[in-house]
Amino acid sequence: MMMLKARRMAAALALILIALPASAQPAPPPAGDAARGKQIFNSDGCYQCHGYAGQGSRSSGPRLARIELDFDAFKTELRQPSNEMPPYTESVVSDRAAADIYAFLRSLPAPPTASCIPMLSH
Amino acid sequence: MAKRGSAGVGRRGFLKGAALAAGAAAASPPLAHAVPALPDPNTKRPILIQLAAAEAQAPPAEALTEGKGGGDFMVDVLKSLGFDYVCANPASSFRGIHEAIINYGNNAAPEFITCTHEENAVAMAQGYYKMAGKPLAVLVHAVVGLQHASMALYNAWCDRVPVFVMVGNGLDAEKRRPGVEWNHTAVDNAVIVRDYTKWDDQPASLQHFADSAVRAYKIALTPPMGPVVIAIDAGLQEDPIDPAAKLMVPKLPRTTPPQGDSAALADTAKMLVVAESPVILVDRLARSQAGIDNLVTLAELLQAPVVDQAGRMNFPTRHPLNHSIRGRALVTQADMILGLELRDFWGSIHSFRDQIERTSKPIFKPGVKTVSIGAGDLFQHGNVQDVQHFADIDLAITGDGEETLPYLIEAVKGQIDGGRRAAFDARGKKLSDQHDKSLQESRDEAASAWDVSPISTGRLCAELWEAIRKEDWSFAGGGNQTFFSNWPQRLWDMTKFYHYNGDSGGAGQGYGSGAIVGAALANKAHGRLTVGIVGDGDLMYSPGALWTAAHHKIPMLMIVHGNRAYHQELMHVQRMADRHSRGIDRAHIGTTLIDPAIDFAKLAQAMGVHAEGPISDPKALGPALKRAIATVKGGEPVLIDVVTQPR
Repeated sequence: MMMLKARRMAAALALILIALPASAQPAPPPAGDAARGKQIFNSDGCYQCHGYAGQGSRSSGPRLARIELDFDAFKTELRQPSNEMPPYTESVVSDRAAADIYAFLRSLPAPPTASCIPMLSH
Repeated sequence: MAKRGSAGVGRRGFLKGAALAAGAAAASPPLAHAVPALPDPNTKRPILIQLAAAEAQAPPAEALTEGKGGGDFMVDVLKSLGFDYVCANPASSFRGIHEAIINYGNNAAPEFITCTHEENAVAMAQGYYKMAGKPLAVLVHAVVGLQHASMALYNAWCDRVPVFVMVGNGLDAEKRRPGVEWNHTAVDNAVIVRDYTKWDDQPASLQHFADSAVRAYKIALTPPMGPVVIAIDAGLQEDPIDPAAKLMVPKLPRTTPPQGDSAALADTAKMLVVAESPVILVDRLARSQAGIDNLVTLAELLQAPVVDQAGRMNFPTRHPLNHSIRGRALVTQADMILGLELRDFWGSIHSFRDQIERTSKPIFKPGVKTVSIGAGDLFQHGNVQDVQHFADIDLAITGDGEETLPYLIEAVKGQIDGGRRAAFDARGKKLSDQHDKSLQESRDEAASAWDVSPISTGRLCAELWEAIRKEDWSFAGGGNQTFFSNWPQRLWDMTKFYHYNGDSGGAGQGYGSGAIVGAALANKAHGRLTVGIVGDGDLMYSPGALWTAAHHKIPMLMIVHGNRAYHQELMHVQRMADRHSRGIDRAHIGTTLIDPAIDFAKLAQAMGVHAEGPISDPKALGPALKRAIATVKGGEPVLIDVVTQPR
């Protein structure tokens, strides 16, 4: 029951966040250490579903490289995922570690486009 | 292994011994009376007399050779059924038919294919059937061999693939040598696989074998198809054929698969034609080019999108109506869903969330019409639960999908008028544009980790496609396509039935290597270039298939998807750790294949297979594939070990 209540509250919170006026700009992401974020990302957790380069897979998890979600939304999805993703509580991935991961994902270089790779046109 | 009966008393040996004993008995008192209470030198005398008396009778020399054995007739039966190959790991319980195959049958049609494990033998049969469209035979040892084969039989059962298994046995306890032959005998061998085979029998005579073999073949190939098991007694194989026996091989009838009811098909045609947003979901439909072509005809008549779930090669990947990548989205928008030979209709139209509370919900619109066509309901077992969730479908048409399609096409043709045709054309134009967009999205996704090491599965499949696309190629699969993100279906131009061979069916590990080699065996006669991708965890179950490929010169390219983990299980364990907030640094325990990493190239080389790897530099992959293709085209098997991203 407690779990259900927590989930309903989280869902309600998500709705409130979605309903915020556009003028309410998200807070800037905390400064993170991209190198440390890479190390955390490629330990047992994130890379398993999203790939070592955050490229994602249709069969396991979406692309995260150069993530466009703001940090708060990223953290919400980390803590209280809406879909299949398992939850990463603060005791497992601290807010600081989350910021580091976020920094790593944002720091990744732009991938080549398919048009730059001739064999991908065949 | 010693010849059956050499250390014991065979039937004829027993008769000869009995004759000697009878002679001796006539010349001496019963044994109980011949044994005195105390040693007496005179007690030897009667025995000498016995021997002398026996020699005096000059019995005929023991017959140690014979003409045709029962195994020869069994080979006649196998030949009548058209088996080109019999895959087996040799075993004493079928030595009679083994010898008959290679000598009486001249080791041709069927040719004996040496396997290093029964799981490989059956996996080869599964891969072979789907590619060749005809089964091969498998011989397994009594009890232990069938136990080894059981996992692969379960895959074949789930995959609805006919596999013809013969298991040796030694029914007559009088003939069994002491020791291991008793361990390798069962009153009912097939009981251990009966939950996932379609039929079995244990013939008591050669004629019974002939009838049962032909019956088993017919049952196995009648949809829904499945494995069958015939226990063949060693005595039947080895004993001479009774000259008075009037043995005959029964005729194998031409059979027709069950087709869907015509009235139900007419109803389905009406639903399809009036629907504004129909979608065709297809899984294990096509077993021939006709199946693919007919599905193309149906889709084009309706200008309806097709979502190929890839249980077979069902629909050309570059066809404008192929929308496999958008399956879920199309279901949410559909007002009519037609499922063709789906293994999981419910799962195709529901979402499922694997959190503490497992939840599901329909993703289809209220009022959607749902129709299934498939032969699955015609035969099921109650124990193994491969039936999936029960789907509340509006109309379930029982009939073989491929066989039924032509009749559905005719019914649809009769329903389309000019107005609907114009609507279909407009729908088709939108779908064509969306198909092009989806293809571009897939290409962009493949590019996204292009230069990353370990090598991305997208780059692996793009490089492989580049290496084979100008050849007459065949992708033998090798495992679960989602394990490498379905890239071949998304990037390659697949049009022919042999361009893809489906998956394991039961998701039992150890399928990939045998299935690839089996498919390659089928392709060998056509000169097709066979490639497959097998997971490193899967290959470790059954690497011996590589030796079989080398020994029998079966050309194929096996790529190892080396993510160095039982990765699906790694993700599951991480999920449990996350659920309990226990960190992210221990899920690798028990789930990874590192320390040491396995050198699959050396493993393959040790079995006589050309091999390269491990390759972790993406730039090195293309040249390695070119070298490999050249070697395969020269008639050799090749393995390339690629260190890959997880999915």
